[in-house]
Amino acid sequence: MQSPSSTRPRHRRVRRATAVLVAAATLAALSGCTAGDDGQVTLNFFQFKPEAVSDFAAIIDDFEAENPGIRVIQNSVPDPDTAIRTLLVKDKVPDVLTLNVNGNYGELARACIFADLGSDPAAETVNPAVQDIVQSLGTCGADGAAEVNALPFASNASGILYNPDIFAANGVEVPTTWTELVAAADTFQANGVSPFFCTVKDSWTAVPAFVNLGGTLMPDGFFDTLREESTSGAGTVSFAEDFADAADKEVTLFDYCQDNFASRDYNAGNKAFADGESAMYLQGSYAIPAIRANNPDAAIGSFPYPVTDDADARVVVSGVDVGIMVGRNTPHAAEAQKFVDYLMSPDVVSAYSEAQSTFSPLKDAEPNNDPALAGLEPYFTAGTIIGFIDHQIPAAVPLVNLLQTLVITGDTETFLADLDSEWDKVAARTTTQRQGK
Amino acid sequence: MTDTLTNTTAPLPADTEAAARAPRTRRRLDGGNGGTNWWLTALIAVCSLTVLIPLYFTIVTALKTPDQLGGTGFELPTSIRWENFADAYQLTNFPRALMNTALITVGAVFLTLLTNSLVAYAIARNMHKKFFKGLYFYFLAAIFVPFPIIMLPVVKETALLGIDTPVGLILLYTVYGLSFNIFIFVAYINSIPVELEEAARLDGASTWTVFWKVIFPLLSPMNATVGILTCVWAWNDFLLPLVVLSDPSAQTLPLAQFIFQGQFNTNYPVAFASYLMALAPLLIVYVIAQKWVVSGVTRGSVK
Amino acid sequence: MTATATRAKTPAASPGTPARVRSSIARTPRTFYWMVVPAVVIFFGLHTIPVLSGMFFSLTNYAGYGTWDLVGFSNYINLFQDDRVLNSYGFTFGFAIVSTLLVNVIALAIALGLNSKIKFQAAFRGVFFIPYVLAILIIGYVFNYLFANSFPAIFTALGLPGLSSNLLASPDFAWVGIVITTVWQAAAFNVILYLAGLQTISADLYEAAAIDGASGWRRFRSITFPLIGAYFTINMVLSFKSFLQVFDQIVALTAGGPGTSTESIALVIFRGGFQGGEYGYQMANAVVYLFVIIIVSFLQLRILQRREASFS
Repeated sequence: MQSPSSTRPRHRRVRRATAVLVAAATLAALSGCTAGDDGQVTLNFFQFKPEAVSDFAAIIDDFEAENPGIRVIQNSVPDPDTAIRTLLVKDKVPDVLTLNVNGNYGELARACIFADLGSDPAAETVNPAVQDIVQSLGTCGADGAAEVNALPFASNASGILYNPDIFAANGVEVPTTWTELVAAADTFQANGVSPFFCTVKDSWTAVPAFVNLGGTLMPDGFFDTLREESTSGAGTVSFAEDFADAADKEVTLFDYCQDNFASRDYNAGNKAFADGESAMYLQGSYAIPAIRANNPDAAIGSFPYPVTDDADARVVVSGVDVGIMVGRNTPHAAEAQKFVDYLMSPDVVSAYSEAQSTFSPLKDAEPNNDPALAGLEPYFTAGTIIGFIDHQIPAAVPLVNLLQTLVITGDTETFLADLDSEWDKVAARTTTQRQGK
Repeated sequence: MTDTLTNTTAPLPADTEAAARAPRTRRRLDGGNGGTNWWLTALIAVCSLTVLIPLYFTIVTALKTPDQLGGTGFELPTSIRWENFADAYQLTNFPRALMNTALITVGAVFLTLLTNSLVAYAIARNMHKKFFKGLYFYFLAAIFVPFPIIMLPVVKETALLGIDTPVGLILLYTVYGLSFNIFIFVAYINSIPVELEEAARLDGASTWTVFWKVIFPLLSPMNATVGILTCVWAWNDFLLPLVVLSDPSAQTLPLAQFIFQGQFNTNYPVAFASYLMALAPLLIVYVIAQKWVVSGVTRGSVK
Repeated sequence: MTATATRAKTPAASPGTPARVRSSIARTPRTFYWMVVPAVVIFFGLHTIPVLSGMFFSLTNYAGYGTWDLVGFSNYINLFQDDRVLNSYGFTFGFAIVSTLLVNVIALAIALGLNSKIKFQAAFRGVFFIPYVLAILIIGYVFNYLFANSFPAIFTALGLPGLSSNLLASPDFAWVGIVITTVWQAAAFNVILYLAGLQTISADLYEAAAIDGASGWRRFRSITFPLIGAYFTINMVLSFKSFLQVFDQIVALTAGGPGTSTESIALVIFRGGFQGGEYGYQMANAVVYLFVIIIVSFLQLRILQRREASFS
């Protein structure tokens, strides 16, 4: 805004031109935002899911009808990862946010960006197994007095999606062990049916299988030990040692992919699976709405990954697809609280989980009756769930890219060595940072 | 590659013929009938297809229904679905994005032309002074600064100053364009004889008047060049609006296209319709002002 | 520059200048300062300060938010041990060299073609300039679709199944797809600049050459090319500089993949620094990147100018 004043000594024409410009710009800026002085409180609501804009718009309409004094502006931006970080840099933390509760969320929570929602009555209604997953990613205040920085609004579950019609036509039962899974894939291949449709052009689509395999097969407390040892220098655990089996199995699964699987992207995969082009699809519950968008009557079933030959050892990897946070320094804490409570009310949560094929993270929620989720639902309700292990890996480690290379080349040794070295490098950088403190 | 390389020799015989007939012609772009090199014309036509085919592809894809996609994608649509454009219009909130982009672009072009030429003039006419020469190199050095290094501090600063808005973007384009624009403006101003200004000064005109009345009009070829460069840059830029703009309603056209890159079902025809709508305004302006644009850039660089 | 300096001094030095003018000249410097000072202040505020603070943060462990501490040069030391960063330099340089050469050769060839006796000259000029006004990000989206769907289908139809996979999905050849897209878009502007250069060449020179019986290639080598040498230098330096900063088209085409095979320096900085929470560390990378660009550009200028000199 220095430019208008700086032009003052210049010729009048410049000044006039600049003035017109600024006026036009201000006008446009004003017409863009409707700041009213009628005693209304406006909440800035950062919503990261582009596919859920209309769901949230409906929720907001209902909320505003009930609370005439509060206006909620849904801010759905391109590239939410970058957007939230630039907002932090600007010191413009939104009043209320939704974010995917992943490793990034953990970093932000540890930096004390979000308010403590522990005393919110809504926190009492949440399924403790789900809240544990949120808490494990990190909270403000670190050890001991752990805050609740996010409430889970919707949970997802990663498993294997399958086409019941194709299974029936080929006389294949839902596999419960690793051997059965491989046998099923062999049967499909022998019958000329593609076992999996893989979409490795989008690198992240190699991750869901890996988090299931690795999450089940890794020793208990692997990441805690790894983190401790990266500061102490000891080396009793490593990816090379403890993830070799998972990496092998990942490669085995991707060997059953269709030709050119590295060329196809997630959109192509959703369409192909909707059209019955493959018997199975290595994606979780979150893919179901996208598959149905291609074909509303797509035949979809689901089952948890049979990682070992022990059918009872099966678990479902579950993450919090949408978490709700409140900015720590919001000037409208009371109104924000009201909105969060509204969002977390059972009706809103269950309506959303039906619309987006998610699981309700609430204690006494009705099970989601979507037949596509029937294979995963019991595990979720019983709390036999584990978190996404990729959320334990710092964003600076390019896990997604390394996995993409792994499934294309099949070179497990390089993958594990790279993963170890990337982890060590990032840990070394973090250590120097700690020393600086 | 090899083809194109060897062909560069082809134009010359035809040129010399023309030159022999009219030795005075400096420009050989008169397109006269005699001596037209048809073989080369055909070759250039084939080369121009590499430009036109992706455009054709974008257009036909934007007109299809999703189930017509398959195949090579170059087939003409069997039935045209105009609704793709309506859908894209709604999804991207097209009129708002267009308004924002247009406002930022027009603002950046005007402010750049008015201010950058003035600064260049002061520098060019005082290059013998250490201060101004130092400034020249100070501005010039910024050409080499990669954007990532300033990105986060700029985000912070614009937010602090309250200019994380379209107005702020206009200012940023004006300031960041300064480096390169001064480089070409100064070179051009150096070629304008000082005598013109002296005449005006003898009539009692101030330096400001001299600049606006004498120099600025003479700069029009350069203004055209700088205007086009700024316009294309501001219109198409992605990263700066992405990080600087805080208000989501200030979204520009390139940002609006991001909605089709999310991890959810992409309807390609609608996405392509949207791409086309984002590209079209500048393309239309270009087609209308084509002759002027090309000659503007050309004259600018000829000096 | 020297010319301007002498010219500007002339009026003051000439004897018998009327007093009125003399006073106006004495006033001149102040006005000139007024012309530049606001610009300097704003430029310093919006460009130099960010550069300096970016450099400063390279000495900290700042994550982009929250608190930070000074860590000395440890970011720089870690940088040189990070093979992901080193690989991105390798990729970026390879990409920039290939793209710069291709863009300049192709643009020069097209400009020569457009500058000769052909039909529909104006129309063709218009067509070749189109890509310049199109956003590279959106072009990237379109080419992404072409590489993923159309080209494989075409090659399969042509009976070349070996070429029927998505170029962008191959760790070894994805960069080729990025180069193709980049050249498609970037050649346009260089065509115009070369065309401008070619129009400064007098036809008389070719006439003389024709009398000497010089062949086409010889004429290009000894007349055309030396005379547009300055354009060649500028184009090479500017395109190389901008290709070293490649970002948009990679985001649209491969997002750095497959694996990390097409991660450019700018992409690594953006990802690690803004999305990965290692802002301080990646600022060290950015500072190194800045010096690399400066050094390379100066070397290039010197070498190319020497070549130019030896031509004429």
